[in-house]
Amino acid sequence: MREKILKTLAHWHTAHPWRMTLVVILLTILFAAFARRLAVTTRTSDLLPEKDPKVAQFNRIIEEFSTATSIVVVIQGEERRIKEFADQLAPRILEARDTGKNDSLQEKIDKLQRKIDKLGKKERSEAKIAKLESTIRELRSQMNYKLFQRVDYKAPIEFLKEHMLMLVKEEDLTNLKDIFMGPNLVDLIPNINNSMEKEYVGQEESISTREKEDGAWGFLDGIQNLILLLQKASEGEEVPDEDVRAAADKILFGEPYLLSYDKTALLLNVIPAFTLMDRDYIMSGTRTAQSILDDLLKDFPDIEAGLSGSIPKEHDEQVYAQQSLGYTTVIAMLAILILLMVSFRMWVAPVFAIANLLVGVIWALGSAFIVVGQLNLVTSTMAVIILGLGIDFSIHLISGFTEHRAAGESIAQAMEAAFMKSGKGIVTGAVTTSCAFYALAISQSRGMKEMGLVMGTGLLAILLATFLVLPVLLVLRARLRDKRLQKKGVTKLERDISFRVLGRACDWLGRHYVFTIITSLVISVFLIWAAFQIRWDYDFRNMEPKGLVSVELIDTVVEKFDLSMDYALVTTDNVQDSYELAKEYRELGSVAITDDISVFVPSPEQQQERIPHIDEIRGKIQSATVNHAFLPDELETFKNEIERLEMNIMEMQDMAFIGGQDKVDNKCKEIVGDPENPDSPNIIRKLLQLLDGDASEVRQGLSTFQKSFAPHFKQSIIRMSSIEPIHLEELPTSILDRYSNKARNQFLLSVYPAGSIYDGEFLKRFVNDVESVSERATGVPPLSIALLRIFGRDGRNAIILTLIVVFLLLWADFSSPKRSLIAMIPLAFGVFWMVGLMYLVGIKLSLMSVMGLPLIIGIGIDDGVHIMHRWRHEGNGRLRIVFASTGKAILLTSLTTMLAFGSLIFSAFPAWGQFGGALFLGVGGCFITTVVILPGILGWIGRRSNRKKD
Amino acid sequence: MKKIMISGLIVLLIAPGLFGQELTGEEIIQKVNDQFNVDTSYAKSKMTITTSSGQKRTFISESWSKDKGEKNLVRYLEPARVKGQAVLMLNNADDIWMYFPRTQRVRKLASHAKKQKMQGSDFSYEDMGGGDAFIEEFTTKRLEDEKMERHDCYKLELTRKPDSDSSYSRLIIWVVKENFVPIVIDYYDEDDPDYHLKRLVQSNLRVIDGIPTAMKAVMHNKNDNTQTEMEILEVKFNVTLDDTMFTERELKK
Repeated sequence: MREKILKTLAHWHTAHPWRMTLVVILLTILFAAFARRLAVTTRTSDLLPEKDPKVAQFNRIIEEFSTATSIVVVIQGEERRIKEFADQLAPRILEARDTGKNDSLQEKIDKLQRKIDKLGKKERSEAKIAKLESTIRELRSQMNYKLFQRVDYKAPIEFLKEHMLMLVKEEDLTNLKDIFMGPNLVDLIPNINNSMEKEYVGQEESISTREKEDGAWGFLDGIQNLILLLQKASEGEEVPDEDVRAAADKILFGEPYLLSYDKTALLLNVIPAFTLMDRDYIMSGTRTAQSILDDLLKDFPDIEAGLSGSIPKEHDEQVYAQQSLGYTTVIAMLAILILLMVSFRMWVAPVFAIANLLVGVIWALGSAFIVVGQLNLVTSTMAVIILGLGIDFSIHLISGFTEHRAAGESIAQAMEAAFMKSGKGIVTGAVTTSCAFYALAISQSRGMKEMGLVMGTGLLAILLATFLVLPVLLVLRARLRDKRLQKKGVTKLERDISFRVLGRACDWLGRHYVFTIITSLVISVFLIWAAFQIRWDYDFRNMEPKGLVSVELIDTVVEKFDLSMDYALVTTDNVQDSYELAKEYRELGSVAITDDISVFVPSPEQQQERIPHIDEIRGKIQSATVNHAFLPDELETFKNEIERLEMNIMEMQDMAFIGGQDKVDNKCKEIVGDPENPDSPNIIRKLLQLLDGDASEVRQGLSTFQKSFAPHFKQSIIRMSSIEPIHLEELPTSILDRYSNKARNQFLLSVYPAGSIYDGEFLKRFVNDVESVSERATGVPPLSIALLRIFGRDGRNAIILTLIVVFLLLWADFSSPKRSLIAMIPLAFGVFWMVGLMYLVGIKLSLMSVMGLPLIIGIGIDDGVHIMHRWRHEGNGRLRIVFASTGKAILLTSLTTMLAFGSLIFSAFPAWGQFGGALFLGVGGCFITTVVILPGILGWIGRRSNRKKD
Repeated sequence: MKKIMISGLIVLLIAPGLFGQELTGEEIIQKVNDQFNVDTSYAKSKMTITTSSGQKRTFISESWSKDKGEKNLVRYLEPARVKGQAVLMLNNADDIWMYFPRTQRVRKLASHAKKQKMQGSDFSYEDMGGGDAFIEEFTTKRLEDEKMERHDCYKLELTRKPDSDSSYSRLIIWVVKENFVPIVIDYYDEDDPDYHLKRLVQSNLRVIDGIPTAMKAVMHNKNDNTQTEMEILEVKFNVTLDDTMFTERELKK
């Protein structure tokens, strides 16, 4: 059957080359159309099984909670300027619209309108017209699509101004309420001191966790700001009302902007109207935001700003992926072309082989669309892999055809002979490798499953191309050549090529099989030892392209804000659950902070507990008198209190130092100086020096300051001491949107890690902790662990299944389990050599490099199979011929495959480099074990067989 | 725990006559308690903590203990920045004062501070406190003997009494049979008796002035996955200490 098909095909090619060309062109157009629709995703979650609870939950969160994915604008520069920049940027971004689809949408609308017009002339078409009109409305709504729904870069100040005190925990109210009792400076500073000394009592707890440390930092930041303004006021400098009010607000509500600890960076969180699933908008949204940013940056030359977050990262990775694949494919093709030209000592056949590959790759991409619809981070490399594997078919066919032509056969005879001799081997090889790939389809992870399906089908597509495209090219070229030679009246045969050195070397190894086997074992033991030293690389950043702004800014955010952008997500059904879970999470050592809606909606009981304190504050502040002048006797008291404040901050600093609270210690240094550096500035000391200046001028300055400060401070406290209960439904939309879904029946809790999730040990602990509180926890950290777990298991299962499949196919092929096992020996050693070499060259196990293990079984088996076939055909004692002839073929196919995989090392995506590097070593390892270990074994078998005969 | 770390590092040699007797949990913990509560002691120790930005910081301090660990005074020697800073703990760390040489002021911490981390370490003030906490705050049950840290040990479970304000719901203590040293202590969460919070492991037992003493103690916080190592550089027992040394006024000196 197989022979009949191959014979017929060979005949068609020689009889009807132009018809076959037409078939090829039509098929290529068809597959190209499919290939064009092939989408690419670089999200790691797309490598996991869709039905995995963590993936399903993650995808649901992305769909339902717009805040789960965002564009983070990281702005760096001087504090005032970055705030100005953010204030100007936010409205511009909110106005952004996607007009790129307008033309195509208008075309669709016009088409539908014409349909409506036609239907209007017919009877009983109202329902159809209504449906079409509804579609038109839907399409119109997509025109001038508003890309972003919200920009978060400031605390919800208006809400806080109304309800701040109701949001403060009862114990904190007890400690802090002194601060709110008097509006005048002479009241405020002693009140702050009293509060600090009272708070100081419990300070060990207050700064013992990240959130408490942040609280202490924020409080000190408000004091620092006030001191700096008081310095200006004492010097008689006019302090703008706006700044005075901002200083009061900062003490009461904290810093409104999302500023870094050193105040040189600001975050602006752009919430899109689309989700991470809308690929087109990811691309256009990022481009639009970047263009707005670039425009504004022209007016702020002193500012640096860039985009980060899940959406720009996805955008950048896709752009990089496409560029990377483009040039790595070109590198692979050029390298293969040069190798083949050198090897075949001609240029036409290699060019044909590459042309055949190009067509084959288009067919493979088209078939990938049919099979899986989209390419993921792993399958994106398929073009290069297919190139490396598919070229082998061309090499065999070209070799066969040129060999027979060299023997003086006609085009038809040579083609038929090539099909019959090489075709069978090509089909067997392709089917074996495809089956090995298809074995991956049992995997749970989409990464491996899709890899198996895409590669298996792709390889069959390229096999088809090799039997349809290449022969046509060879026939047409041979006819042309014959005609040209006929005209010249000369007869010229194709060149014969051989590789005798390899044959001699392998023959020597076979004759000295004891040495060969012992040496191979020694090297293998060393490499097996090395293989067991290899470790997983938990740092997912090592898979990301270097130099990507979106990726580099992640490190900036971690450094400046001490906050990981990869955190765990948990959903709850109500606010109370959210509160309880957040509380549990905060008690975990691996958790830095949590962010959830319960902060804005305390429980009714909590609100009740806070009311007496709020009543007390309101009563005191309402009855407090605002003094518009700073009295002479108040100045001395004021100075004493400022000195007391200095001492309180110094003590807080010393406590923070022995408590290991670096942020608080550093903030204190900014205020009272560095105790280890006597020359460091102390802003309180400077204020005291200024207060010692001309008393009337100082009082005048402070009076002016107080005139603005005290009334605003008093009114703000009165306003924020509302005891109206806070209900969920009354929260501002900005807060609700941030934490709940549209139906307002699900709430999102973000859990931030206290350490680096790129540290494997910490990652495992964080995920264990997070999952111990709620099994529903998802997000990048839990997904990363799930991915490693599933990939590890899938990899192991796939290796076992692939080995079984390969063994069964070989058994069927050789009709002998013993020969099948011998053919698999180089592979078995090759796999260990591969992992051992990976360890030696510094490639760690990663999601991508581990993918190479099951693949190498399908790919690496070919060498042993070809040698065993030829050895069986030639018989004992003919190792020189076996390796000179077939050895040359496997050297060539191994080199081309290595070049294809090796080209991935030049990819901008380190993930692909790891994958390509692993397979490069794997293919190389399998080739060396085949030409070193196999001659030894075959030599030993030959010797035993000879002895038996003797 | 102060009694374990400072005076508590002292263990008395047990009279041979005591061996072989089948002791109850109460009797064992009483012996442990009695041995710990040496009347006075002096120690110089080194403690390394991890700061919030992940840096290691080492402190060297001197400490004095009186009245069987009920009164404790810790004074920092190094680094230079905190030299002279001192902590006074009275009434088994129910009352805590701190002295800051930079401002020359003394501040009293709240009584609940004893449950909190001491100086960014994994020890709490309660852990460092002395007295009869094991007897007064817990009821003791003897469990099946076990080998721990290569020692044959009595295994005890201490459960918090209803009226106790200890921050641990229960403790599991492995007491070396040979010398009644609590070689390992497991601490369980205040609210969740199944939640293993911390483990203290004592090691490097040396006989000083005829008294076996653990020169090293490591507290591993399972919750934060951090650990604090405390090493005794020098220790003296039954030193002469004036009562006035343990007063707020003397703290400044």
